[in-house]
Amino acid sequence: MNLTMGALLAILGGVIAAIMGGVGSAIGVGTVGQAAAGVVSEDPSKFGKVLILQILPGTQGLYGFLVAFLLLVQIGVMSGDLVGGESGLTVSQGLMYFAACMPMAIGGLVSAMYQGKAAVAGVGIVAKKPEESGKAIIFAAMVETYAVLALLISILSIFSITSIITG
Amino acid sequence: MAKQNIKKIEILASIKDVKDIVDLIQRKGIIELSDIPDDDLVDKLSTSQSFGFYEKYLNESQSALKTLDKYCPPSKGLLESIIPQKENLSLSQYLENADKANIYLGYCYDINAAQKQIEESSTAIARCEVMLESLEPWLNLDVPMKYTGSKTTSTFIGTLPGEYSPETLRSALLPALGEEERYDCEVIHSSKNQTNVFIICHNECKQTVYEALRGIGFAYPSDPTKHPPCVRYERYKNAVEDFKKKSELALETIKENAEHRREIEFAYDYFSLYKEKYSAIGKLAVTDNVFILNGFISERNIEKFIEELENKFTVAVNITEPGDDENVPVEVKNNAFTGAVEGITNMYSPPGKNDIDPNPVMAFFYYALFGIMLSDAGYGLIMVVGTSIAKAKMKLEGAMKKTVDMYFYCGIATVFWGALFGSWFGDIFEVVARDFFGIADLGAKLNELLGFTVFRSGIALWFQPVQDPMRLMRYSFLFGIIHLFAGLFASFYKMWKADNKIGAICDVIPVFLLITGIAPVGAGILSVNVPATLKSTGLIMAATGAVLIVLTAGRDSKNIVGKLGLGLYGLYNTASGWMSDILSYSRLLALGLCTGVIASVVNTMGTIPGNKIAKACLLVPVFLFGHIVNMAINLIGTYVHTNRLQYVEFFAKFYEGGGRTFTPLKTNTKYFNIKED
Repeated sequence: MNLTMGALLAILGGVIAAIMGGVGSAIGVGTVGQAAAGVVSEDPSKFGKVLILQILPGTQGLYGFLVAFLLLVQIGVMSGDLVGGESGLTVSQGLMYFAACMPMAIGGLVSAMYQGKAAVAGVGIVAKKPEESGKAIIFAAMVETYAVLALLISILSIFSITSIITG
Repeated sequence: MAKQNIKKIEILASIKDVKDIVDLIQRKGIIELSDIPDDDLVDKLSTSQSFGFYEKYLNESQSALKTLDKYCPPSKGLLESIIPQKENLSLSQYLENADKANIYLGYCYDINAAQKQIEESSTAIARCEVMLESLEPWLNLDVPMKYTGSKTTSTFIGTLPGEYSPETLRSALLPALGEEERYDCEVIHSSKNQTNVFIICHNECKQTVYEALRGIGFAYPSDPTKHPPCVRYERYKNAVEDFKKKSELALETIKENAEHRREIEFAYDYFSLYKEKYSAIGKLAVTDNVFILNGFISERNIEKFIEELENKFTVAVNITEPGDDENVPVEVKNNAFTGAVEGITNMYSPPGKNDIDPNPVMAFFYYALFGIMLSDAGYGLIMVVGTSIAKAKMKLEGAMKKTVDMYFYCGIATVFWGALFGSWFGDIFEVVARDFFGIADLGAKLNELLGFTVFRSGIALWFQPVQDPMRLMRYSFLFGIIHLFAGLFASFYKMWKADNKIGAICDVIPVFLLITGIAPVGAGILSVNVPATLKSTGLIMAATGAVLIVLTAGRDSKNIVGKLGLGLYGLYNTASGWMSDILSYSRLLALGLCTGVIASVVNTMGTIPGNKIAKACLLVPVFLFGHIVNMAINLIGTYVHTNRLQYVEFFAKFYEGGGRTFTPLKTNTKYFNIKED
């Protein structure tokens, strides 16, 4: 196994994606949870509806994890057989992986926080007009599009960088 | 199928039949009543009083049920507590019970009175306990608190702030009383904040002693007793016991009435039916001899209904086409497959006046897109089995039945796509085959056994998205284009039907040409080998489409510059809008990958130990927990994103919404189904 600076940079990228996605989701899910608890204290029967809203900003953490995991698999950390042959990953190759992880890291962090805010507003809809809870979900889900796009570009970059390196 | 033709119905009949006719309408549940305004020719029946009574009875039965739930909760199965099961009642059983509604109401009154008794007792007990607490310091006093002294003596009974013993009290009084010796102090009770004292003195020095006491903060008790305090204390003690007994008796009453739960539930349904019935009667118009009922009815029900009505009553029925300015409700009717997504459509908005029913177009796509995003055959199988059990074991109706149906079809689609992508609880079959039986490539082994190639990659019938994500992305865009075209042609159909044939041709055909023509070029960019001839033909098509859009999009403008400007703007709008719409379908790949990869991670974590027995012991709990969590999270994500694709990308092409759901007067019950004999 050739642990080079390049490998370190690549792993660092994946780890940052996982951390920032997770932090964003924790903030988002946490804020929605507070609002949801307020509604449930008034009307416990709305638990199911607000729970869905609370879970929505949680996906970014999952996406960050996914990117980190795929990166570890792709650069061979999981199998113990690092890509890049005898000399290991170069710094520039490592930086490529690092850059590939950044969309998910930053997009995940910010979108989860704002999705949390949209979901909090959605909890307000559930409190006043429970029959319109579907619309509340859609408003929050709109934000998630950008997390999905970030996830996609990160994944596709990781896959294509690997295929460039391994030839 | 699809959107129903709604007609206006007007019924005139003798006023003596009014209740029977409204009863019939309510049981049939096919007419939505409209309010007839009061004017010079007709009157309104005053129903507010009866309505108020039934509302009150309804509240009584509701609170009785609530009380029963609190003290004697019913034993329910898990399924039943999620989806309440209604019992069937025949019409004759219903009528039989209806006669006893008053008795049932009596049970409710008993329960509610008992509940009130329990509440009152508990406040009374709390009040007594406060009194007891305030009396406790005085218990050592053996004269009444009002006692003021004998012929020659005066007494002061009261409280002092702070803590005193007889000695410290004396020394506190010393400065004011000085040489005076004709008094005595007794401390009845002393605590940190307050001391209860009994002071006796000679009548002659009464004033001096009183002032000395006032000087250190003496106060008479606010509520002195006429008897020694222990007498009052006993009285409150007894009162507490009394209230406790009353409360217990009341609880007994409630428990005795628990056996009447079914009857009270019936009463609840019965009163809610009557409440609705009287609110309906309030919408009618009456003269001295006849009443008039206005409403909306679906065309398919008209003939049978009129026949039954005319057989039973003397009526005049008038069916008319609703006017354009009227707020006509919308009713859709679909089969089990297409109707299952009605809930999803209604969550967006029921179809508006000019809309076609979107459910038949979207149902297939909804299931298919859901399947691609969840994309695990194992999870799909759980959905299919779960919903099948629910369908077989429970009496489902209305929206709940449709939701269960929807998940059933979504489950089938998920199994289909999961099998194509070779994902069964992630890669559990391959992992088990590799780690426990030493089969490195399960798919190849199975192909060998079968004698021909079924599994192309792993155990995927088609390909594994993780191995070739670009491929799934291309297909995602393709599925997206197909989905959007379905929406586009739905808009063509809608405009054509509304006699806007020019709009149908001008707004649909050029877009279709443009997108179809550009698609091969786009596929080329995404590294697909597209034949050059196809590309060039595509470009010609796209160019034609673009020119047509520029020429037709501004057709509403009066002058030539406006036409051209709007045309160019239309081209820009179409191109950018369609591009972002199609790109949005990349979520099919993202969510699909998400499910599969995390499922594989779960399996990998479960098989970390090298020893096979340890591996098996770890795998079972990790498998169960991990896949339950992964399935739950991905189900929510998939549901949300499938809805989004329907609402934002698909509906934007043709669907307006804004309709009002048809809400007929019907037997809206919670516990019983009333069936016609």
